[in-house]
Amino acid sequence: MSASELGIGIEDLNVYLGCLKVPVRSFFQARGLDERRYGNLQMQDRSIALPHEDPVTHAVNAAKPIVDALGDAERASIEVLVTASESGVDMSKSIASYVHRYLGLSGRCRLLEVKQACFATTGAVQLASGYLASGISPGARALVIGTDVAIVNERAQYAEPTIGTGAAALLLGPRPRVFHPDHGAFGNHSFETMDSARPRPDFEIADVDGSLFAYLDCLDRSFAAYADRVEGVDFERTFDYLAFHTPFVGLVKAAHRKMMRSTGADPGQVAADYERRVAPSLVYPGQVGNLCSASVYLALASIIDSGNFDEGTRVGLFSYGSGCSSEFFSGRIDMESKRTLAKHRIAQRLADRIEITFEQYERLLEENMKCLVPVADRVLETAPYDALLDRIPDRDPMLVLKRIRHFHREYDWV
Amino acid sequence: MTRRDVIAALHEAVALVLPHVGAEEIRMDRNLEQLGADSVDRIEILVGMTQRLGVQRPLSSFATVPDIGALIDMLVSEAGR
Repeated sequence: MSASELGIGIEDLNVYLGCLKVPVRSFFQARGLDERRYGNLQMQDRSIALPHEDPVTHAVNAAKPIVDALGDAERASIEVLVTASESGVDMSKSIASYVHRYLGLSGRCRLLEVKQACFATTGAVQLASGYLASGISPGARALVIGTDVAIVNERAQYAEPTIGTGAAALLLGPRPRVFHPDHGAFGNHSFETMDSARPRPDFEIADVDGSLFAYLDCLDRSFAAYADRVEGVDFERTFDYLAFHTPFVGLVKAAHRKMMRSTGADPGQVAADYERRVAPSLVYPGQVGNLCSASVYLALASIIDSGNFDEGTRVGLFSYGSGCSSEFFSGRIDMESKRTLAKHRIAQRLADRIEITFEQYERLLEENMKCLVPVADRVLETAPYDALLDRIPDRDPMLVLKRIRHFHREYDWV
Repeated sequence: MTRRDVIAALHEAVALVLPHVGAEEIRMDRNLEQLGADSVDRIEILVGMTQRLGVQRPLSSFATVPDIGALIDMLVSEAGR
């Protein structure tokens, strides 16, 4: 059986987007940022993590509902677990090793952590899909989780209001219910650049123009590479929806406008096309912030939940990670995608987040900036945050970091 | 394409994106941020200019230009290729 006949795709997709939020506008007021720049960000809220959350808890909290819904045989068929992150908790030990434990996956499983800034999840999805499609292990599945935390403060200026926190978990396998990739339809573009990086676990640097221009170059070039592989492709007509990596909503709007202008569309056509094909992808990202490695899959979830479509709808996706590497690819979604995603109640869980004040955010920030800093021993107090968590209606049990003992992280469910 | 064409393209792009900026404010020793352009505005101005001038050079290569004068020089030399 050929790889395409095996039909490997995304069987299930869930996201974890934190329990707290801060309105983006409050950053402008509190930090004294230029209010005129608020309009181009086009973001409403930013998800905020609690100090006892980290990339491991985000990953597990995203994947747990997917794994819990599987039968024993399906769960045992997860032969590959990959975490994709720019928020590693150790130079050697992977986030995946902890995730494997707390998800209770089979010992007969490969564990990996991959890194290429915000592109890593897509890179892992493509490689894992190739492995599954090779047919060497019929019926096998892979779980790929993009997970990241924010480590920015006022030094980041206009980036501080736009960085999200959370994870997207994707179950890949032979019975795709969420997303059917178009076989062989992809294009890449990569080159070395220092547009943004995390040289230390509590510090990141960003060259704003360098990063945004590299994103736009990569969109242009990866789509050209895609078009070289896919006969008759047309940016305006081939895709019913577009899901782009979303550092902030305003950049996606600018990127779409750039691509459309090169097709000769006039401003009225560009605006109408944006509302029809792009805006549905931005409903969730605009309430969360940049979800880094998981960002493009939050955009895909946003389309599936908020788009108005029937069967056989084609989505064009663009994934970009600083440094840099990128991919334009495509696939189909349908009503089964909607039914499958609806079980995860993403819109409701977003609405259930607790809005905190900027003063509360600043107190959390002091603790959250320590999230990835290696320490031998640390005890995390969860009690101070019980009152916040108690305000979330029908909250599912969530994994939290309880302590670090001789560099080993210990978690528990609350 | 002459230097005058490139400057005209800059003035047109700035007028479209930053209509409150007067032509006399667009000086060679200033940069786009000093004109009040945020990151999205800078994308719009640069994309508008390169598309109008037919310049194919990657946008990334413009990321480090220090001021408008250097941007004009770069586009003039690129257009002459």
